[in-house]
Amino acid sequence: MKNKTENIGLVFFILIGVLPFAAAFVYAILYSFGIIGVVNDGFTLEFWEAVIHSGEFFKSFGYSAAIAFVSLSISVVGALWITLKFRHQLEQKFLSFVTYLPLAIPGVVAAFFTLQLFSKGGLFSRISYKLGWINNATQFPDLVNDIYAVGITLAFATMVLPFFVLLFMNVYKNERIEELSILAQALGAKKIQVVQKVFLPILFQKTWVLIVLYFIFLLGSYEIPLILGQESPQMLSVLVIREIKQYDLTKISEGYVVAVIYTAVVALAAVALFLPKKHGNHET
Amino acid sequence: MRLNWKPFILSLFVILVLFPFAYMILLSFMSGWRFPNLVPEYIGLRNWETILGSEVGLLSSFFSSVLISLSVGIFSTIIGFLISRTVYYHPHKRILNLLTYFPYILAPVVFAACLSYFFLKLGLFGNIGGVIVAQFLIAFPYALLFFSSFWNEKIRSYEDLVSTLGGSPIQKFTKVILPLAKSMLLICFFQTFLISWFEYGLTSIIGVGKVQTLTIKVFLFIKESNYYYGALACCLLIFPPVVLLYFNKRYVFKNPI
Repeated sequence: MKNKTENIGLVFFILIGVLPFAAAFVYAILYSFGIIGVVNDGFTLEFWEAVIHSGEFFKSFGYSAAIAFVSLSISVVGALWITLKFRHQLEQKFLSFVTYLPLAIPGVVAAFFTLQLFSKGGLFSRISYKLGWINNATQFPDLVNDIYAVGITLAFATMVLPFFVLLFMNVYKNERIEELSILAQALGAKKIQVVQKVFLPILFQKTWVLIVLYFIFLLGSYEIPLILGQESPQMLSVLVIREIKQYDLTKISEGYVVAVIYTAVVALAAVALFLPKKHGNHET
Repeated sequence: MRLNWKPFILSLFVILVLFPFAYMILLSFMSGWRFPNLVPEYIGLRNWETILGSEVGLLSSFFSSVLISLSVGIFSTIIGFLISRTVYYHPHKRILNLLTYFPYILAPVVFAACLSYFFLKLGLFGNIGGVIVAQFLIAFPYALLFFSSFWNEKIRSYEDLVSTLGGSPIQKFTKVILPLAKSMLLICFFQTFLISWFEYGLTSIIGVGKVQTLTIKVFLFIKESNYYYGALACCLLIFPPVVLLYFNKRYVFKNPI
């Protein structure tokens, strides 16, 4: 009886949790090799060669990775600083609620808000005009849809930093870093030593898996780069959808090549992160 | 005398956090706000009055979003909880856990693009049912991972104790496991509700523009450069999560299992 229930649970797990991903991946592979698809004639490496030779995927991958890395670094460093300096204040009732508020902002709203503030007709452009710093909207620097992805980075940091503040504060409390710090100071450690030898190692040991996971999430982010990004290079998800949803049917397979490579990279990252036996990751 | 800069930084922090909310509310009341003016031509209730009519369909988008998110939240929490027991008590739980992560960390929009063929064949393309199923496929792995920490040795010992004392599997589930999991089930429902509520990419692919949730509406308004209605849609999008976070934080995080 017990085994029967477990087997039913396992069947449902495979049907809901595994099969859709496997089906999507296999479909993308078959499409990328021209085995299926409206205008495809059979197995070919033509689409893979085209993607590899064009170099657009690698450019997009590097661009996405750079944006994700910079945004995440700003968020993690900012969150560490806030946790270190303001943890007691942020535990007060009002400030504690305020810290949670950014979690209510979805990506599409964060992108819209960034556009409203930093576009050439946005709030800061208007203020610059009133202050006499610019004479017309075109003189305002490109902060959205720009090559350096300033807008995307700002929107990412706005969304990710508050999450890491909450996470670090949670770990700080659960791992009793306060008590350990007092103990270290009582044993003669300086403030900087406490930060370097107690605070940072414990926090990173408990959260590094989540930091890497967030890097992967930002790498595949869609709506923020869609609104705040530029035409070329584009972030990965935007590139995949642009290629798959285009009107030129002969090019769709190239979109699936990009999707297959991206999925394989993400799956390998998951294997590297979650297959090894022991992790000090923080449960969310 | 050393200047205490902490209150200034904290005030700045509060202003920075509250500013987007205040800005969106203000913008939703505006119209005719042209460059380089800092003050709009009109501030009033006109934009909000139009949502009571069906002119822009925002109210129906709001209710579609509520229906989709409630369905995704309820189904993924219940099914995720039931199946997570099998997964995390399984001898090969590490492998099963890894398999759970694959759909979880893949960009939902790419997942949807690769799945769209199957949705088309199953008649789930461009309708609310299809969007619910698609969002469920990304919320379900989250629910599974969420409950991974619940199925520990302590819970197993309780289960064994109930069995030893002659309790039936149903009694074990209703009298021991459910009461212990109550607060986690509530948090999981909130989180999966939010995953669905915030979802854009996957909804745009599977819904093909026919299922217009609030996130889709915000994007459409941005494309039309109708920022006032866009802000209004943003308000409808962010205030339910604010209320949820208020209750979530106040009643759930303070009562750990």
